[in-house]
Amino acid sequence: MTYETIDTDVLVIGAGGAGARAAIEAANHNVMVTLLSKELLGKAHTCMAEGGVNATFANVDPPDNWEVHFKDTIEGGAWINNQKLVEILTREACDRIMDLEEYGAIFDRTPEGKIMQRPFGKQTYRRTCYAADRTGHEMMVTLTEEIRRRDVDVMEEVFVTNLLAKDNQVQGAVGISFKTGSLLVFKAKATILASGGGGRVYKITSNAAQDTGDGYAVAYHAGCRLLDMEMVQFHPTGMVFPESHRGCLVTEGVRGEGGLLKNIKGERFMQRYDAKRMELAGRDVVARANATEILEGRGTEHGGVYLDVTHLPPHIIEERLPTMLEQFLDVGVDIRKEPMEVAPTAHHLMGGVEINENAETTLKGMYAAGEIAGGVHGGNRLGGNALADTQVFGKRAGENAAMFAKKSSMPIIDRSQVEKEANKISTILERKEGIRPHEIKNRLQTLMWDKVGIFRTGQELQEAVQAIEEMKAKDLPRLFVMDKHTRYNKELIETFEIENMLTIAEMIAKAALMREESRGAHFRKDFPKTDNKNWFANIYIQKKMGQMTLTKLPVVVTTLKPEGA
Amino acid sequence: MPEDAVQVKVFRYNPDTDKEPHYETYKVPYTQGMVVLDVLNYISEHYDGSLAYRWACRAGQCGSCAMIINGKPRAACRTLVEKGKPLTITPLVQFPVVKDLVVDYERGTRRLVKIKPYVQRLKSPSRPEIISKEDIVDVKEIRGCIECWACVSACPVVGEAWQEFAGPLIHRQLARLKLDKRDTEERVKTAFIEGLYDCTTCKTCVEVCPKKIDIPGKAIEKMRAIAVKEGLGPLEGQKPFIEAIERTGRSVERQSTPLLEQVPDVIDVDDPIDEVAFFTGCLVDYRLQSTGFNALEVLKRNRIKVHIPKAQSSCASPAFRSGVVDLAHQQVKKNVDALEKLGITKVISLCAGCAMTMKNDFPAVTKKIYNREPNYKVYDFTEYLVREVGIDKLNIKDLGEIKMKVTYHDPCHLNRGQGIHDEPRQLIKLIPGITFIEMEEADRCCGSGGGVRTGRRPLSMALARRKAEFIIKSGADAVITECPFCLIQIRDILNQLGYQHIQVYNVPDLMAMAYNKTK
Repeated sequence: MTYETIDTDVLVIGAGGAGARAAIEAANHNVMVTLLSKELLGKAHTCMAEGGVNATFANVDPPDNWEVHFKDTIEGGAWINNQKLVEILTREACDRIMDLEEYGAIFDRTPEGKIMQRPFGKQTYRRTCYAADRTGHEMMVTLTEEIRRRDVDVMEEVFVTNLLAKDNQVQGAVGISFKTGSLLVFKAKATILASGGGGRVYKITSNAAQDTGDGYAVAYHAGCRLLDMEMVQFHPTGMVFPESHRGCLVTEGVRGEGGLLKNIKGERFMQRYDAKRMELAGRDVVARANATEILEGRGTEHGGVYLDVTHLPPHIIEERLPTMLEQFLDVGVDIRKEPMEVAPTAHHLMGGVEINENAETTLKGMYAAGEIAGGVHGGNRLGGNALADTQVFGKRAGENAAMFAKKSSMPIIDRSQVEKEANKISTILERKEGIRPHEIKNRLQTLMWDKVGIFRTGQELQEAVQAIEEMKAKDLPRLFVMDKHTRYNKELIETFEIENMLTIAEMIAKAALMREESRGAHFRKDFPKTDNKNWFANIYIQKKMGQMTLTKLPVVVTTLKPEGA
Repeated sequence: MPEDAVQVKVFRYNPDTDKEPHYETYKVPYTQGMVVLDVLNYISEHYDGSLAYRWACRAGQCGSCAMIINGKPRAACRTLVEKGKPLTITPLVQFPVVKDLVVDYERGTRRLVKIKPYVQRLKSPSRPEIISKEDIVDVKEIRGCIECWACVSACPVVGEAWQEFAGPLIHRQLARLKLDKRDTEERVKTAFIEGLYDCTTCKTCVEVCPKKIDIPGKAIEKMRAIAVKEGLGPLEGQKPFIEAIERTGRSVERQSTPLLEQVPDVIDVDDPIDEVAFFTGCLVDYRLQSTGFNALEVLKRNRIKVHIPKAQSSCASPAFRSGVVDLAHQQVKKNVDALEKLGITKVISLCAGCAMTMKNDFPAVTKKIYNREPNYKVYDFTEYLVREVGIDKLNIKDLGEIKMKVTYHDPCHLNRGQGIHDEPRQLIKLIPGITFIEMEEADRCCGSGGGVRTGRRPLSMALARRKAEFIIKSGADAVITECPFCLIQIRDILNQLGYQHIQVYNVPDLMAMAYNKTK
């Protein structure tokens, strides 16, 4: 297989909120930037973010400041966030949102012409800035506009199969162009991984099709250290029917605007789970409450609970929740007149690639930002913090990668690693029978939902780990695709995705098995209590001598500690 | 396979290996609430993993999955499958096919990037920047675009002249930037060069937009209004019509005795079942008087008392559509005063342009002038007969037989502008002896609207030619429509092409013809 080699200073993998912001920042530093997107530019999952982005402008609640946001984030994160990173997030969020406005973003306004802010779960003040219920879209459109202004080489529909790494340094990446099916090799002085989340390892998820968590797997194989992989956020409110819409996000903004959760008996059940915060408790708490109501038989016919905004004036719904109104009208439900039915859906991986304050990973020349990076959100992410994270750490990654690139020379890549990828592709294309990738995908997604979901037990996690290992050993070598041509071969790309998904699934399940307590989004029925004495800690994962190694290490603390730790 | 399986015909093509595109047909089990994306996923998993199509968010938020579904560009994730109804799925047009349903948008993005599709500031803003709530209202209305390119694929003007007309998506972006006070580029000039006056305001882009963005109304016409203020518009060819309205209250020059001079103020009938005011519009008054008489005959035959206020004047549609806002507003006042003076609550018009303008544009203006909407309701002629009188209450027994094969052309401003699609067809089918043939693309724009016929005649006729092809292909003896502009445009092109034997009528012409067979 022949391939083309492309030289660049800064290679950005992923063109969502973090990747796009990183590319813009790197370009500001006068280096060559190549931005790879698995999908078309502007269609990354960021465009689906709805409710808003947190920053302590204090435009509607004057007492708010970064320190309150910091505390909310740590408490919301069940204390295991890296506090150095949280401080950066909360201190810099305002500036990054003002960057977006400078680029042309249009956030909703207060009567004084400042950015409007709405309440979000488990936050002391109203600090979530928004553009109706399409905030992520507003940000993605803005970033796309800004990318188009700049001299950034955007390569759309390129799937990165592996990072090129040697001696703890990343030298670029290997990818496949969807359009032509040809192999591409990127030689880069610095590489930024901003490839987004991996919600697609679960059967029910709010995540877009491309969110198969490829970045976690390629980073792991390149030798990066990851952390908190057991921490998977289940968003409390995803659609439940029809089947094709199952898992689609129903924004927290609905509850922020006053939406009420009720069970089939009409009871506002949050009273029993968090009487103080009610519907605006942490996502982990609300998700478990919804799941419990459904499991205990107080759910709706389609297996959900009610989320009701019918008491709100119709014009408020039309103005502030237009996407939700449209999304439910599509399936025949007018949310101005009838309640929505919702249930938890896999939403966000809090864990990910370990970064420091400069967004540097444990490998030289490699940076990470956005959902792929771990440590910012701890055991549970606050709604509105992910979009802020993309901008704050996207910028830092871009800046630091550019500075690193400026003082580095072009690396010499190990061509044998490229050959390996080429061989993998030919082997799969040549295989005449076997298992098609979607079959393994479906099986894995069901396994993860059933055994590594909202409620976990040691035994089920053990079973999951075993099943994943079996799939890796028995199914992966039999992967087979129907299309033998490389041009826009979706199934061929899927073979890489499923291999990645198995790696992430293994990380999640193994870390969840190791953490013998309940904390944040991680709930063990066999260890239902939080154990600050033994588990005020992070679980780190790294590939050592070809083996997945898990290590428990202390949390990075600057100021706050939980009781009993 | 269960009986209610969906039959799906899918476009297949791999340019690397196939000589030419072909179709394959699959059967997919129907499930409640399924969307077209589910169908594609089913085909991919159960029949052929080589099928190429894009999708990402499955919630109408990313715009990846636009494709042509049963003839219209749609987002596959938001298009419900109808039980028992076959599906045909093809890739978007105007873009080269990468494979199967996947196209390459490079042509489009290259064009987009040329207009500098980003806010250009001369200096950095203060931090924080104060932006008033009012200043973002207009921008927000057109900000929801997810760049799915469905509008560009569907736009009939792009289909004829993409080099001239940048297309709905790009004009929306230009308006988004012009309406944003932070931007300092000369957007209107760019829009003018990129074909601002080429849009026929046919609203096909609105129809196919997953976000229902009203590009003609909220982008094109707003930009034209600014273009007029900046002296760029209206176009030379449009000026005489605008000037004529200013001078005479009619957009066209007098040739023969106007209808209004030939009819009384009130046409009474015995035992009336209803009472309406008749709004002629410029063309029925000055050019198609016979259509006016025919409409009055149909109303008489149905025992409807008709008032014809003589103080009525041009609805100013040409002014609205080409951005001459001040004149448009004067005309609204004139007409609203004349109509309200009658104290009649129902106003009917058989001009799609007039009725749409009175329904969609007048209320906003009267809100400014009188702080309220007009106190009458506007109906299209066919809408009035079918929905208001009721099809079962119409005088059907006096409709004589007409042996004729007819087809129907949907005026854009009636179909997409007012949502009236079935009513004209229902009336045509009432007439004994009529054979109704549905032509292909009956709702395709004929090219007469939006000031394009007057301002951009060659483009307008190119659009008309495309329309004529479908009329001719239908084999009909006559084409029926419900808009004087469409009628004149279609008659013109059929004459030009040597098909003058194909008659062109408005719905009331055909109905009156049938009534006149009986006494």
